[in-house]
Amino acid sequence: MTFAINLGLVLLIGPLLAGVVRKVVRARVHSRKGPPIVQPFYDLFKLLGKEDLQSVASQVVQYAPLVAFASVLVAALLTPMGMRAPLGQYGDMIVFAYFITIAAVAVVMTGLACSSPYSMMGAGREVMMHLVVEPVLIICLITAAIKAGSLLMWDMAAWNYVNGPAISMVAAAVALFLALQAQVGKLPFDIPEADQEIMGGPFIELSGPKLAMFQWAFFARQVVYASVLAVIFIPWGLTFAFPWNVGAHLLKVIVLIVLVGVIDVVNPRLRIDQAMSYFFGVIFVALVAMAFALIGA
Amino acid sequence: MAVIDLLIGALILLVVGAAVTALLAKRRAMCGYVAFLFVAVASVWVGVAAFHVLSTGSPIAGAPVLTIAPLNSSLVFTVDGLSAVFLLITSLIAVCTTLFSVRYMLVDERYSLVRYYPILLLFFASVISVVSVRNMLFFLVFWEFMTLASYVLVVFETDNADARRAGLQYFIATHIATGGILLATILLYTNAPVKSFEFEALLESTRALMATSPALIHLILALFVIGFATKAGILPFGFWLPNAHPVAPSPFSAVLSGCMVKIGVYGVLVVFTSLTPLSHFTTVWGVWIAVLGTVSIFVASLTALQQTDSKRLLAFSTIGQMGYIWLALGVGLALLRISPAVAVVALMAGLFHLVNHACFKSLLFLNAGAALYRTGTRDMDKAGGLMRIMPVTAVTAIIAALAISGIPGLNGFASKWLIFESGIVGGFEIPLLVFLVVVAIFISAVTLAYYMKFLGMVFVGKLHIGQEVERREVPVSMLVPQVLMAIPCVAFGVLPMLALKYLYVAANGILPAGYSPAFASLFGSSPLAVNLSLSGLRSGAWGPVAILVAFVGCLVLGYLISRMGAAQTREVPMWLCGEEHDFSEVRYPVHSFLLTFNRYFAKLYPPIPVPRLPRPTAILKLLDIDRWLYYPGLRWGERIIRVISATHAGFPQLYVLWMIVGAALAVIVLFSMGGGP
Repeated sequence: MTFAINLGLVLLIGPLLAGVVRKVVRARVHSRKGPPIVQPFYDLFKLLGKEDLQSVASQVVQYAPLVAFASVLVAALLTPMGMRAPLGQYGDMIVFAYFITIAAVAVVMTGLACSSPYSMMGAGREVMMHLVVEPVLIICLITAAIKAGSLLMWDMAAWNYVNGPAISMVAAAVALFLALQAQVGKLPFDIPEADQEIMGGPFIELSGPKLAMFQWAFFARQVVYASVLAVIFIPWGLTFAFPWNVGAHLLKVIVLIVLVGVIDVVNPRLRIDQAMSYFFGVIFVALVAMAFALIGA
Repeated sequence: MAVIDLLIGALILLVVGAAVTALLAKRRAMCGYVAFLFVAVASVWVGVAAFHVLSTGSPIAGAPVLTIAPLNSSLVFTVDGLSAVFLLITSLIAVCTTLFSVRYMLVDERYSLVRYYPILLLFFASVISVVSVRNMLFFLVFWEFMTLASYVLVVFETDNADARRAGLQYFIATHIATGGILLATILLYTNAPVKSFEFEALLESTRALMATSPALIHLILALFVIGFATKAGILPFGFWLPNAHPVAPSPFSAVLSGCMVKIGVYGVLVVFTSLTPLSHFTTVWGVWIAVLGTVSIFVASLTALQQTDSKRLLAFSTIGQMGYIWLALGVGLALLRISPAVAVVALMAGLFHLVNHACFKSLLFLNAGAALYRTGTRDMDKAGGLMRIMPVTAVTAIIAALAISGIPGLNGFASKWLIFESGIVGGFEIPLLVFLVVVAIFISAVTLAYYMKFLGMVFVGKLHIGQEVERREVPVSMLVPQVLMAIPCVAFGVLPMLALKYLYVAANGILPAGYSPAFASLFGSSPLAVNLSLSGLRSGAWGPVAILVAFVGCLVLGYLISRMGAAQTREVPMWLCGEEHDFSEVRYPVHSFLLTFNRYFAKLYPPIPVPRLPRPTAILKLLDIDRWLYYPGLRWGERIIRVISATHAGFPQLYVLWMIVGAALAVIVLFSMGGGP
């Protein structure tokens, strides 16, 4: 059943939350009515039936969307979402971090295989963003691991629930929240896709089901990243009682994603070098959090 | 027959093979196949002996082959768990690279093969010998053989000025390093209670010195560490490596990266486990080794990101990955006294990464070699999209690149995961280690980035090669080694416990008896998953089989979803915003890829000048036999012949006269000798 809950949360709630953000946040800010909340599902299903246009006959482009989709789902199965993760005993935080990376690898490989100058540029930007954003996640998780004395994600969550809050964990939570915006690919950090500049970057040559699979994977990925922040670093509401736990977790995830949506609407896009300078700062904050954890704070 | 005789037999076979291939050098193809035959048989023998040691867990030793009485030293071939690991990777790499060489070395007929196969075979023989002696004197002798052989192979293309310069740099750097090792050995020898070069005697010497002169011990250990770091390519000492690797013939680049630089790691392990007793020196130097490793990881990987030459990129990557190995060994040595469980896991992680790196980096050099063989260029801008014409090479390259960048399910992830876990848990004792691990994790994303670049530019994407390039896969004899080396990358990735079981024997063998915790208490008892428990409680888990099953399940789910709409496919041209361009006009250049990020780290690795030595003119004159022996002799001979030829005027009468005179002379001589009729 835990499999069903985790998969259901990311596959169904993911697109739905995107619909909520579009309707409640973005349309409200734009002073318009906005599409229905289930619009992302309409879009996905429509894309699944549309023609699949191929500009390069590459095996890589063929399978990368599926790999991205599957790796995000596996990462979701490794993430505790209000309770023990279904695959938690088979993979710890480092396994999680690497699996969530595979999705980015699939995007980059797609961009490179398409060989269009726009997709190559997008792939390069994706790599660079990944290089500066991923360390934040890792350092924050290591901070939690030092505090909990274990690298298993559920142990970290349980430790913070029982012993939190600690200075180091709060600092790590701040750093991770600052990185969340880029992890889910929202403004001001949607630099790799940058629709108005490079027309979707790595995805410029994709259409139909391939695009749908990538989009669905990214909807799911939002929930995964928000869940990590919510369950490990914001432990309130974790009561170890089953249905209430999942509900509280869902609530935290919704709040986080709506917050991300608000920031997304009111910000313009940064240049890649500005974004990197910003994240070097965030990495520094995360390192300070880790230093605090090492001295026991 | 004892198992150790297999090893000695293999050494003899390799030396005989060197002689035979030297005689056959004119017949290029046959020479290659004969060399392969010798190497294959020798490798199987060595592999059997090494595997025997790992499976029984007890070292084997032979009878003394040679004894030097005045120095109290005798040559005894010994294989323990640690050397067995190095022997196994050496034999795998030897077989694969020699087979790869057969066709690869046919191309350029300017250079005689007499400087390739015989030297290569001697090189393998010396590598095998280095790791199976326990006497510092013979260790150094074989070490020097190894260095000289590798120098000759690095400068194989003598017409290439870059190769000569890189070779000179390599020669000087390694010899200064070897000088340091020699000095340290002599310092230990002179202070030894029993004057001998055996490891046990030197260990006693270290023990005695530790009590009396700690500064001297620090100096000795520093000389050892710097010496072996130079060979292992650890920055700032291994600066020769990125110059020497690209210019060597590709199969030998694979050997350099997969096999030779690893011997530096062997040296360090031997110094700290066989030559030094467990003490606070181990801890201090362990931390230094970890720091050196991290410096290499950081500088070399960020520099690799900026390369446009495929083999140079791989060379920098070798330094980076050697950094990971050193980091793990450093963590292990630093914690050896404090926390045995973490230390053993860290040492095993380092050895595991070493084995894995031997597999995938040699494979990558063979891949790059295959691309070079077909396209004739190492410049990633000039040739790309080779997957279209070389599918097998491309797939093995993708496996190797994903493995080295640590994609879960392949072997690189398993070993890096162990390095990170042991480093983080080790950080509870020595906090500095956690920061080193953070750098290492950050750089593992950089590793991923430059391998994306390598794959994207060379193999994946639109085909982009010159008109003259033949559009087909490389010959089968070059494909087999690549496939062979890809197998362990997958096998150890899916079943890491398979390798860990044997590496535990190796790590256990170099530590004091009863020191390391039982295998099952460290890694759990399931053969399918690594359930790591350090510091008492369960601290990490990696169950590749379960996770891969879930991954495949999710892939199937994704496939089913993507086929739900039964979408049709249609071929269309690339969308360039309505403009019409030839692909070569819009191809994104390698240099621009990741340019913004690279600007931050552009000055990290300054170019290191190669010293320009004044030519030793007097010696060169002496060596120039033509000048002072051949040509003067020739001139004298010519003069004498000119005098004789004056008698040959061409008149028959003159010749008849000569004959009469000659016959008369003969008669006179015979009469005077015989004393009359």
